[in-house]
Order: sequence, then C-alpha cells, then structure tokens
Amino acid sequence: MMGSLRRITAVAGNTFLEAVRQKVFAVLLVFALVLIYGANYFTEFSFQEQFKFLKDLGYASISLTGLLVGLLGASQLIPGEIERRTILTALCRPLRRWEFIAGKYLGLATLLAVMVAIMAIAVGGVLGWKEAQLIAREGSDPAVAAAIQKEARDPRLLQAVLLVEMKLAVVAAVAVFFSTIATSTTFVMAMTLMVYLIGHLESVAREQWLESGEVASWVAKAFLAVVAFLVPDFNLYNLIDEIIAGNAVSWRSTLEVTGYSAVYIAVLLTAASVLFEGRDI
Amino acid sequence: MSAAVRTERLRKEFPMGWFRGRVLALEGLDMEVKRGEVFGLLGPNGSGKSTAMKMILGLLRPTSGKAEVCGFRAGTIAARRQIGFLPENPYFPNFLSGTELVRYYGRLSGMGGAVLEKRIQELMELVRLGGEAGKRPLRTYSKGMLQRVGLAGAMVGDPEILMLDEPTAGVDPAGSREIRDLILELRGRGKTVIFSSHLLEQVEDVADRVIILHRGQKLREGRLEDLLTRKKEWEVNVQGLKEEDRKELRGWLEKRGVQVVREGAPRERLEDYFLRSLPEEKRK
Repeated sequence: MMGSLRRITAVAGNTFLEAVRQKVFAVLLVFALVLIYGANYFTEFSFQEQFKFLKDLGYASISLTGLLVGLLGASQLIPGEIERRTILTALCRPLRRWEFIAGKYLGLATLLAVMVAIMAIAVGGVLGWKEAQLIAREGSDPAVAAAIQKEARDPRLLQAVLLVEMKLAVVAAVAVFFSTIATSTTFVMAMTLMVYLIGHLESVAREQWLESGEVASWVAKAFLAVVAFLVPDFNLYNLIDEIIAGNAVSWRSTLEVTGYSAVYIAVLLTAASVLFEGRDI
Repeated sequence: MSAAVRTERLRKEFPMGWFRGRVLALEGLDMEVKRGEVFGLLGPNGSGKSTAMKMILGLLRPTSGKAEVCGFRAGTIAARRQIGFLPENPYFPNFLSGTELVRYYGRLSGMGGAVLEKRIQELMELVRLGGEAGKRPLRTYSKGMLQRVGLAGAMVGDPEILMLDEPTAGVDPAGSREIRDLILELRGRGKTVIFSSHLLEQVEDVADRVIILHRGQKLREGRLEDLLTRKKEWEVNVQGLKEEDRKELRGWLEKRGVQVVREGAPRERLEDYFLRSLPEEKRK
C-alpha cells in the first residue's frame, strides 16, 4: 500500500513539476490582466451591478482558464508520453498501470486545484480592492458601507470555487479516459469537448423531449437513460451561476454535486485503468 | 536456479488497421539467457529485437507463447523488479535534471529516503555524471550523457538484469567505449546484461552469447567463441621477425604441408587508433 502511494505520488509530482517548469502558470498573468481591466469597467453603474459584473467576469475567467489548461493538459497526459516515448522508461518499472493513470490524474487535478485557488484568491483580492474604492466613494452612510461589504465578502463564493474545481476535475477525468484508448491528442480533445457539450445539453434535451410527449417507446427511454449514465450532467454545475447571481444555494446541494463528481471521476478512472491495462505500448 | 530470461515460442503480431490484416513481428522465439551472462540480440532493423525486449518487459502482450524473468511471468510486478531497461534513443522528461531523473525512476521502483539518495550518488559517480553535471537540465546533455544517465536510471532499483536496446546508437566512439566498459563492469558485478546492437565489433567485445534474428525468426544462437573461432586455423603474432626469417619460416611450413592462409603485419582497429589519437582527457 505504501509502495503504491509512493509510486502514485512520484508520477503525480512529476506531472505537476512538468507543468510548472513549462510555465503553465504564466496563463495566470493573462487572467490577472483581465481582472484588473474588469475592475475598472462599468464604474458608473450601481455597486451591486459592479460586484455582479466582477464576480461574473472572475468566475467565467476561472472556468475558461481552467477548462483550457485541464483539456490541453489531460489530452497530453498519456498520448504525449507515448509520442515522446518517455512512457517506456516509466512503465517498464514495478509500476502498475492503474498507478500510472492515478498518478497522472492526481498531478493534473492538483495543478488545476492550485490554479483555481490562486485565481479565486485573485478574484477575492479584486473584490476587496473594489470594496475599499466604493466605501471611500459612497460609504459615508454606514448602511451603504455594510451593503457594499456584504456584496464583496460573500462566503458563498467558496461554494462556487469548490464547484468550479469539481467541474474541471470531471472534464480532466473524461479526457484521461479517452487518452487511454487514443493515439492522438486531437482525438482526445475532440471527444472530450463532445462529451462536455452533450453533458450541457442532455438534461435540457431530456426535459424537452419528455415534456413534449414524443417519447413513447421504451427504446427512446432506454437511449436517454444510457446517455444520462454515460455522460456526466454538466448542468448540475449551473449552481455556480445561481451563486454569482446572489441566489441562495445550500451547502447540501453543493456537497451532493461534489459527491456526484467524485463518483463519476472514480468510474472514469477505473474504466481508463481497465482499458489501459491491455494496451500495447 | 531459474534462467534470467526464458522465452517459449514467443510470437507477436501487430494489427495493421481495419481490414488490412496483421503483420508478424516475431515468430516463435525460443531463447534462454543464463544469470550473469552478457547476451547480444543481433539483427537488422525490423528483425524483432525490440519487440522481443518489450514483451519480456511486459510493455507488449504476446500474441502467443510465453516469457519468464527469473522464474516470474513477464510483465508481472515481480518480473519487472528484476529488470532495468534502457530503450533505443531514449527520451527522458527534459524538464528534469540528471539527478532528478534518477530520483524519479527510483521512486517509481518503490525506493525513497536516504537509501535512494545514497544510491543516486553512487550511480551518478559510476556513470561519471556526479557533481555539477548531474544538476544540469537533461536538455543540455549530449547524446552520450543521455545514454549514461539512462543507464543510471535503469540501474537505480539494483535489478538483476539490465536490458539495453541499442545502447551505443548515435554515440561517438569515446562514449561508446564508456558504455561498453560499463557493461563489462556490470558483468563483473554479477549482473545479467541483454543488449541489442548494430555495431557488431562492440558486440564481439562484450557478449558471451548471441542470437541472430531476421524478419522475426531466429537464424543462429550460440557462444561467440563457438560461432566465430576458425577451428582449423592457428594464429601467432610475433615481433622482430626479419625478412630472411620470414622466408625460412614460410618454407618450413610448406615442407610440412601447412597452408599459409594469411600473412602480413596486423592492422589496428580504427576505433582503437581513433581513441589513441585523442588527448588523454578526451578518452575518458
């Protein structure tokens, strides 16, 4: 058990180190510039609108940056190692293939978690900066100052951070799954994006279809059930939009979505390990 | 004691793609490598050398037949613990330094702590990459240095067997000799070395036994001494023989019915001459 853990952390550490040394974190500079630019935008609007805009921009940027890094990184994980042939000198060692998959995924998931955490802290910092600006300008009335503070220091943003992390972790697991059967990075990215889109559309399509009463046959119902089972429902993460809009979202719902994500990740990584086990390298 | 490596009717076919059939890479290879032996796998490109090695390592699944490593089924964790591998033209994660690479491979082999650090230091000294050289990023290494650090990585788990696929490909004569000397040193330490090479002179220098493959089939197998010795001939190298003595010696031999097959001043091997021409420090 200790041996397994040591090997998995070795692979994970190497994956993380590779991203750091290849300057993946430089992406964060672009993110910071977008935020600073955004913070000085719409200053003529009400403070509520300004905060809403900042949170929207911040969390959309976190999602997009995370999605790009996660998708590109995960698509490279296995095919990249095969193309560079570095996989030969790793898998010829007393390292189980599932340990390799788990280590690679853990390294990428850690990278995404660290990046999202840094970006979330940056969003928090910009919100604090905006708060100080607005209080200096409009906060002579204690009630207004309190309202500004409430908008800027919304604890529900932590739930949003957790949900963004989980969504990216599921996308990365989908990409890892495809990378164990694919030989090219392009195929992995195309398949992952397809699953991502279907995952966003499936629940909407299902509701539409069921409500319209067109689904009568058991074949169609079975098809919908299979799609629902195979493709993660990415609409569940729309809770992030609810939080940004200022609506109440319970921790219970957040943790339910977190649990759903963990189960999907476990299933995808198990399937990836089974498929990778029999693959010729 | 079980053999270091044993294969029985080992066969590998690769699918060519949908509706395009399969290509045969290795056909029924029977091979046995004894412990402590230096064993050469010879053959032109596409003869099945690398395929055989990869099946012994468990990187490829045999289509049929079986392979064993020190009595364990090839590909199992127990079997892989016994082997260190250096692939042909190895590519390493070039964002690491030499020392970091060996540490990574050590941890993949389940090692850690002070034991691993001590082992890294020993190995980096052995492959002459100790000190500052080991701290440099791998992307700044020459081909010969990459092969040497690859060897250190292959040896980190102290395996019983070292499997080297074309270890001297693309390496200059001095680097090539270093690798050859390392192989001999490993044999001196009781390790089994299995290696493939196109450079037959080098194989001749280090291998105890060889196998010759062609298009996936075994053509020859045996001890180099048995395969290469011309048993009907005898060779004597002497110094200071004068011209008149030579004539007399030839006459003496002919009188006894001995056929002179070859006569003349022996030539040095170009590799030896080249290495001797280099300044002392470049030879090391």
